[in-house]
This record gives sequence, structure tokens and C-alpha cells, in this order.
Amino acid sequence: MRLIKYCQGNLKGTSKAMGNKVIFRKCIGTLAIPVIAGLILGVICLVNGKAMIGNRTSFNNFVIYAAIIMITTIALSINLNSGRFDFSLGAMAILSSGVAAKVTYSVLSGGKYSAALMLGLSLAAGILLGLISGLIYIILRLPPIISSLGVTLIYEGILYTMTGGSYIMGEVQNTSMAKVSGSWIPAFIIIVVVLITMIILFDHTKFGYEYNALKSGQKVAVNTGIREIPNALICYAVCGGLMGIVGFLNTVRNANINGGQLGFGSISIMFTAFLPMFIGSYIGRYSNEKFGYLLAAICMSMLNSTFAVFANTVNASMQSIINAVLLVVFLVYLNNEHLLKKGVKQ
Amino acid sequence: MVKNQRKLNKYKIQQMIVQFLPLVALVVLFLVFCAVVQTKGYRLDMYLKIVFNEGIVLAVVATGAIFIYSLGSFDISLGAATLFSATMGVLNYNAFENVPLMIVVIGVSGIGCSLLSSILASIFHIPVFVATVAMMSVLSAVSAQIITSRGGALGGISIPSNVLKSLDVPAFKIVTLAVFFLLCLYVFNFTKIGRREKFIGGNPVCAKLTGINYNKHAIIGFCIAGLSVGLGAFLTLVYTPSVTATTASSLGMNILVAIVFGGMPISGGADSKIFSAIIGGFSYILLDNALELIFDSSSGYGITQIISAVFFLLVVYAASMNYRTKTLPR
Repeated sequence: MRLIKYCQGNLKGTSKAMGNKVIFRKCIGTLAIPVIAGLILGVICLVNGKAMIGNRTSFNNFVIYAAIIMITTIALSINLNSGRFDFSLGAMAILSSGVAAKVTYSVLSGGKYSAALMLGLSLAAGILLGLISGLIYIILRLPPIISSLGVTLIYEGILYTMTGGSYIMGEVQNTSMAKVSGSWIPAFIIIVVVLITMIILFDHTKFGYEYNALKSGQKVAVNTGIREIPNALICYAVCGGLMGIVGFLNTVRNANINGGQLGFGSISIMFTAFLPMFIGSYIGRYSNEKFGYLLAAICMSMLNSTFAVFANTVNASMQSIINAVLLVVFLVYLNNEHLLKKGVKQ
Repeated sequence: MVKNQRKLNKYKIQQMIVQFLPLVALVVLFLVFCAVVQTKGYRLDMYLKIVFNEGIVLAVVATGAIFIYSLGSFDISLGAATLFSATMGVLNYNAFENVPLMIVVIGVSGIGCSLLSSILASIFHIPVFVATVAMMSVLSAVSAQIITSRGGALGGISIPSNVLKSLDVPAFKIVTLAVFFLLCLYVFNFTKIGRREKFIGGNPVCAKLTGINYNKHAIIGFCIAGLSVGLGAFLTLVYTPSVTATTASSLGMNILVAIVFGGMPISGGADSKIFSAIIGGFSYILLDNALELIFDSSSGYGITQIISAVFFLLVVYAASMNYRTKTLPR
């Protein structure tokens, strides 16, 4: 008996130690990339006698950009993880914010609560555009990459026709919008609300379980009775809603909406989310995937702040090159990780 | 028995319609375009020349791109690669003033860009689409950097207009397209390379089990596409001797639309057709130009794009009516 008790005690101790070890490993895995990125970028700024986030304005920009990247990344990953590549995300963002800006201005003429109304309308317009995109995909039964090409062209064309190809500026430059861009708190609240909503929706609801089942094995999931069409429609609507928020935040950040983006000009909005999506998925191995996207967005925002510090020497073209090279390097590591580990073991 | 025969005949007729639909669409679009130009009272020969010059670059690059698409992959960096090759060509000519050397540099740049994409995809195992997204960013950014530093943000860089002027004639362009197309047609339809590429696109696992090397065929496919990029860049310079940061900016996506428009399945495989590039390329340009003439206003470009997109979706829907599955396509 004593021996058994001794063994049980020992086992308890061992499992507790192992549990602590796992938690420690998970924490390290989750925080490693953001901490290392922050340190490297911080040191680069310090060596050149500058600060990555030097004042309140740059901190506001940092939080707003992190919100934009996180939400775009989540929207991109929802359909991409299910094997549906959606080119129309950027077009949804510009069209929903364009429609919302016009309607808001016609109701409030740039007065009090313009920003709040525009956010609500952007979200609603985004959901509607997402639903239309999903319906086109479901009705035509075309590969999503093809249907989204058509949808992108249609949405870009609608915005161009609406604006005559010019920028929407007067409608979005008012005190209410300036208050949102002049503070980090609204963007922070948006980050928290979106993150919690997405975690609950995709990890703790019937829809989320079915989404994950369809993601892992489409045919098996459909054969077990999961209804794929409503699930896909909800995914498209959620993506649209998220891109509506992105459209609003982009408007806050730039103080205008470019209405002249034709010929797939809007897809660049989506391409900014590729690197954070892969970084987020990597971090997601150690914690929640959506939380990984937040940390990846923070990394990208730190990089963006560093670019802003060196704006005189690192121009837009150089920034694109650096981002693309980082994407390639990270993907080379990610896709050859097993080979590298094998090499280290040997 | 009779019922089965009827079903078979109906299926055969359906297949034939689907096969000839893109060609019929091209003929109809050509007639519509001519009618629109005549109705508006414009010079038909001038507008046909514009369509020809725009269409030929798209058709040449799309013909090479078929080799990538038939593998079931796709490359959206082809437009950026065309811009990069043209930029390199202009830089080279301005440095050495030697046309043959410029042509070689353009060709090598095109093949080099595609080769890099294929190496990233096949050797470093990066998903092809993501590799081409990264390449697109790098190539457009490098080209923009060169163009803005040497020619200003709006001006661009150029070669003297008389250098390639003698080649800016339909005969030269038709011969170039015909030679390149026949070469690709031969490789695609009558050699092991083409057959194996279609096999890989149709069933990569089965192809691998029968001993077909994916990496080798991916690299060959990308190299042929690179050659077409070089040719496209050269034809672009023949038509307009200056290069700006927006040159060929939408070419990469237009190729995708054109190929699908021409009746090729985006998933590649056995149904891949080399003719799709030419038929789809010219159809898309004809449609775009006809609509621009019809909606001749400040917001006309927007309406043109909406109608093009709806038409595109309808054509693709009609062409893929026979391929309906229980689950949603991915």
C-alpha cells in the first residue's frame, strides 16, 4: 500500500512538473516571435537614436494598424482555411466603407456620432456584401477563386460608378472621425470585441464545430449530416462584416476612400494579411489561433511603426520588398521545419 | 437501350456546345465590337489595331501561363514579371544601345523571375500561390523603385521611339504570336511534357505514383511561362517604348480571367486547352473595349467592369455546367 501511495505521489509530482513544463513551453512558443521581433526592431530604432513609438500619435497609429491587420487576417483565414480563396475581401472593405460614408454624410452631414453611425453601416454593408458574395458562390457552384474574381470586379465597378473614380474625402473628414483616429481606445475596443466574438463563434458554438468539421474533411462532414451551404454563407457574411470594419478603420487611418480602384486594385488590402496569417498560424500551435493572429498583427504593426520612423530612408517600395522577403523567409522555415529539425537531430 | 442512346447523344451535344462556346463567344464579341464602333461612327481599323495590340500581349503571356495552370497551380506574378523584364530591357538598352542584347536581357529576366517562383515552390515547398504573391510584391516594388529613381514617379523610363518602331507592324506581331503558339501547341499536345503536365494537374498523387517528377515539370512549366513573359515584355516595348510603374499592372489577373474565359478549367488537368489563351485573351479585350465604347462617360469604366464581370461569371457558369458535385467546390 505504501509503495502504491509512494508511486502515486511520485506520478502526481511528475505530471504536475510535466504540466508546468507544457504551460511554460506554450508561453514561450506564444510570446517568442512578438518578443524577438519587438527586441530586434526596438534595438534597430535605438541604435539610430530613435524610438519605435515616440509619441501618442504614433501609439494611436500602432493600435489602429494592429486592428486593421488582425481583422483582415481573421477574415482571410476563415475562408482560406476551408480551401476557399476569396479575392473579394479588399473590394468588400472599400465598397462597404464607401456606401457607409455616403449614407452617414447624407444623414448627419459630418456631425456628432458620424463615426459611430459609419462603423455600424460599414459593418451592415459588409455583412450584406459578404452574403451576396457567398450566394453567388453557392448558386453558380463555381470554384471560389473564380466566383470571387467576378465579385471583386463587380464591387470595384460599383464603387467606381458611385464615386466617378474619385476619392471620397469631404464625407469622411469631420470631427467625429478625427476623434477616432486621435485615440487608441476605439481601435483597442474593436480589437477586444472582434477577438472575443471570433473565439466564441469559431471555438464554442455549433456553427464553429461544424465549420471545423467541414474544414478538416468536407465529404465526411457532409455525409454525417452537416449542412455545408448555411455554414459557408455564415462564413462569407462574417468575412464581409469583418472587412466592413476594416474599411471603416482604413478610412479613419487615411481620412479618405479611394473610389478609383479598378482592375483588381483592391486586392492589395488582402495581401497585407498573408504574412501575419502564417505567423499567427504558427503561434496558434501553442495557444489559440485567433490570439495568434492578434500577436502577429502586433508584430506587423511594430514593423510598420519602424518603417514610419525611417520613412526618409525606407520608402514604400523598400517596405514592400522587406515584407515580401520576410514572408518568403518565414514560409521557407515553416515548410521545411521538419527537415531542419531532422538535420539538427542528426 | 434507345433511352440510353438518347442520353448519350444529349450528353455529346452538351459537351460539343461547351467546347465551342468560347469560340462562338469570341466571334459574337468580334461582331458586336465592329457593330459598336460603326454605330458610334469611329474608325474601325484604328480600334481593331488597339484591340489587336492589347490582345496580343495578353494572348502571348497567357499561352505560356497555360503550362502553369494545367498543373493545377497558378501564378499572379506574371504581370509584375512582365513589368520587371521590360524595365530591365529599357535599362539595358539605355546603357549599351544594343537591341539584340536588350532582347536577350528581357528574355533572361522573364525566365529568371519564373524560375525563382518555381524554385521557391518546388525546392523550398512554399505553396505556389503564396510564392507568386511574394514575387509579385518584390518584382513590382523593385521595378517601381528603378522607374521612380530614374524617371520620376509619373514620367517613367523609355527607349528612343525609333528603336523598335520598324517592328510595330501587325505582320511581325502575328508571326511572333504564331511561332510561339505553334511551339507551345506542339509541346503541350504532342510531347511527354504536355501530357505529363495535364496528368499532374488531373491527379497529382497518381502522377507521383507512376514516377512523374512534379518538381521537374513545374520548373519546365514555369520556364515556358517565363519565356512568354519575356516575349510579352518585348511586345509591350514595341507598342509603347516607355515603361511606368503601372505598365502591365493588371496583366497577371487578366491572364487568369482570360484563360477561364477561353474555356479552360482553373483546376488544370486533362481538360486544359492551349487554345484557351488566344480565344480568351482576345475575347476579354474585345468585350472590355466594346463596353468602354458603349458607356462613354466618367463612370463608364465602372459600368464596363461590372458588365464584364457578370459576363465572365455567366460564361464560366455555362462552360462548367457539366461539372456539378454534391459538395461545394473548393
